[in-house]
Amino acid sequence: MARRDEQFDERFLRKLEYLHIMSKKIAAGQARAQRKTRIVGSGLEFADHRNYSPGDDMRNIDWKVYGRTNKLFLKLFEEEEDLYIYFLLDTSKSMTLGFEPTKWDYAKQCAAALGYIGLSNLDRVSIIPFSSRLDGRMPPTRGKAQIFKIFDFLSSVEPGEQTSLGDAFKTFVAQNKRRGIAVVISDFYDPTGFEKGLNYLRYHKFDPIVLHVFDDRELDPSLHGELQLVDCETGEVREITVTEGILKRYRQVWEKFCDEIDTYCSKRDILYFRVPIQVPFDELVLRVFRAGGFLG
Amino acid sequence: MQFTGLPFEQIAQIGGAAAVIITVLYLLKLRKRRVQVPFSPLWGQVLAEYRQQSDWWRRLRRLLSWLLQLLLIALIAFALADPHPEGEITEGRHIVLLIDSSASMASTDVQGGVNRLHVAKQRARQVLETVGAEDRVMLVNFNDQLQPLSPFVAEVSLIEQPLRDIKVVATGTRFDQALRFGADSLKDKKRGELILLSDGAGFSPEELETVDFAETTTVRHIKLGEAGGNVAVTAFSVRRYLANKLDYELFVRVDNLFDRQIDAELQILADGKLVDTKPVKLAPKGSLQQFYPAQAVSGEKLEARVRILTADARDVFPLDDKAYALLPPTRPVKVLLVTPGNLYLEGTLLLNSNIDLDRITPDAYNPGTHGGGNYDVVFVDREIPANLAASGNYVFVSPSGEHSPWEVSTQVADPIITSYKKSHPLMRWIGMRDVNIGVASKLKLGKGDTVVASAFGTPMIVTRDEGTRRMVAIAFDIRNSDLPLRVAFPVLMINLVDYFQLDDSSLIQDFATGETWSVRVNQEEGKAKVTAPSGSTRDVPIYGGQALVYGEEVGFYEIQAGDETQRVAANLSDPNESQIAPSELELPGQDVVEGTNELFFNREELWIWAVLILLALLVLEWWTYNRRITV
Repeated sequence: MARRDEQFDERFLRKLEYLHIMSKKIAAGQARAQRKTRIVGSGLEFADHRNYSPGDDMRNIDWKVYGRTNKLFLKLFEEEEDLYIYFLLDTSKSMTLGFEPTKWDYAKQCAAALGYIGLSNLDRVSIIPFSSRLDGRMPPTRGKAQIFKIFDFLSSVEPGEQTSLGDAFKTFVAQNKRRGIAVVISDFYDPTGFEKGLNYLRYHKFDPIVLHVFDDRELDPSLHGELQLVDCETGEVREITVTEGILKRYRQVWEKFCDEIDTYCSKRDILYFRVPIQVPFDELVLRVFRAGGFLG
Repeated sequence: MQFTGLPFEQIAQIGGAAAVIITVLYLLKLRKRRVQVPFSPLWGQVLAEYRQQSDWWRRLRRLLSWLLQLLLIALIAFALADPHPEGEITEGRHIVLLIDSSASMASTDVQGGVNRLHVAKQRARQVLETVGAEDRVMLVNFNDQLQPLSPFVAEVSLIEQPLRDIKVVATGTRFDQALRFGADSLKDKKRGELILLSDGAGFSPEELETVDFAETTTVRHIKLGEAGGNVAVTAFSVRRYLANKLDYELFVRVDNLFDRQIDAELQILADGKLVDTKPVKLAPKGSLQQFYPAQAVSGEKLEARVRILTADARDVFPLDDKAYALLPPTRPVKVLLVTPGNLYLEGTLLLNSNIDLDRITPDAYNPGTHGGGNYDVVFVDREIPANLAASGNYVFVSPSGEHSPWEVSTQVADPIITSYKKSHPLMRWIGMRDVNIGVASKLKLGKGDTVVASAFGTPMIVTRDEGTRRMVAIAFDIRNSDLPLRVAFPVLMINLVDYFQLDDSSLIQDFATGETWSVRVNQEEGKAKVTAPSGSTRDVPIYGGQALVYGEEVGFYEIQAGDETQRVAANLSDPNESQIAPSELELPGQDVVEGTNELFFNREELWIWAVLILLALLVLEWWTYNRRITV
């Protein structure tokens, strides 16, 4: 077993407990299986009607509708079951570039914090690191005591190579048939575009939540003069003379890039959080809860 | 435009090589710094927009940068050539700064300084501040002595401290010595500049006729001082009374150097206490002499002061307002009279209370008790003892016989004194022309004899100095003349005693500053410790029982040799230095530039401007680079 990161210490754990209590205040729930799924089954909450077919449970026939229409309709109820939460963690090189703490450190802290809250709610939590492929997998697990397993797993994850959301999530949806919340923590620096990957999740009935992490220092790079810019993932080299005007334009392009992700998510009812790593991760967690996305 | 820096060939080589190197460096492909970025497609979008407009600017910027570097090289080459405007004198000068520190330079008739020397130092500093890199400066301090304070130096800071250390000394001025030294120092120099910083007081053109300046030497005189108003104590001494050797009198002389009458106050102080003061009126350019009996004062250290009372007159030279003198302890003179009987001689000597007289007959003479150093003077009347001591001071009256120091060839009847040396100490205050003499011996003169009085060539009064024995001979018997009846006789007797006593150490010696004094001490060789009036002490050598002391301060000096300490007084005693009216330097056959016209060279150092422009361009490039304008 890999040695656990120093960032997952006692202090961190106490902070997670505090976040768990805060999340309960934000959305008070039941003792177990607090979240409803879209799976229709034997729950108590009415979901829909459908025509009766031979072999269906007679107890679910809606006799009131039969009295009005002389047709047999079956009442469908939402089935209550365990919620699966998948944390899709970007391990590409771009996440590890820059000054300490890196986006990678921050992403791990967010995954651990949200995972702890999920475990505390008796949800099934799974962590899947990815770059251009899936770089390992922590199987779904439940119960607060499993948080250390999450810590150990996160500590053992090595950064990967190039980002390809499409390729990675295609594999993910193929391997994970149980639907659930897919929390994507990434900087979305994907040369092939971010849409393809998120579409895979959507099309396969996952509920994506997007945590877009970035470093403020990326917006104000201390670059001046004649330079060769090397892409840390692809190795692509671009020669450039960095001036004040170039930097200003770069910031505009970056804003546009983020806005594109935001717009995409908004249009598709995907929760989107743009978070600089300079913001404490607990603040991000509370923002996620206040937005209600994590309550199913 | 003229250039005094590196030769053109050398500058061309350096500049050309630098230009080639710069050009080659510009032609080489710039090695750019590699920087990792997280996502280069974002930069790709930026570049796509900027590439079109930045290409031409990049090329132009490189061209401008190259041209700027060449311009910088050109400016450095220009500075190395050390350019100067056409017509400017660029050749280095050899400058001799002659600073007068004599007594008159203590005069306060100046503006912007404490005294003339202070202003002279300020002017010297002004000269030093304008000295160029090619100039060489020598600093010389002079008064009645010459003191070069430095050789020719390029680094003027080396002579700033010696310049500060120059002080006024109470001595006279030797212009001839100073100017001759300056002329010799500049003799073989291409451009010599002799700058005399002096008041010119006491300057005499006759002294400088032999000073030979080189044709390339410019003589400049910066005259210091404005007024000549001064009242001075030009003499203050103690002397013995003529009629009373045991007693003294004080003599004070005060000179008025104003062109008008001055009311002043003359004060006498003894041991620091005021013992006499009297108002005096001093005639224009006149002097006042004043005598004081020693009984009027009690004390050893005497001081005379003069102070101007006239309201609108100001004494600008305080150094000569005081004079000092010592009142020595008195001692009676021991005289032996060897005579068969001579009432005139004995009576005259007895009447003088300052003389301790013993009288014996020639037969009673005993060289053991009467010779040697037992008596200051021995009078021998007519008969000369055979065993007369070989050393001592003797007055022979009508000497004769085989033991006489002078051989008597014949007798001269009724001689008439036709000539005598008025300036001789024996003839002081007396006349001998009409003395009637019955008979006189014709003395045969020997080696070293001096005839003081004679009658048609026949010596009447003769002196002889044999080293250990000094003698005076009177060739006639005074009883056979009317000399004892004359008022000159007692004076002659005093002069005779005085004659031998002049060298006595108990006599008061006058010392003038600016001279080397020989002070008799009780030690033959070695060193004596001298304490100056200012309290400073130094050792001086003793040769032959005399301490050699050079004095620069007025006041009382203490000289300690062995266990003995004696005191001497020193005064300026130089009427020329009291003549403090500044005068212009006039040299026979040599032009003298007065004042500071064209002295302070205003050299146009154009290389400084070239360097400043270079720095400005560098700052501009740095600014544009940091503002990302030329990046």
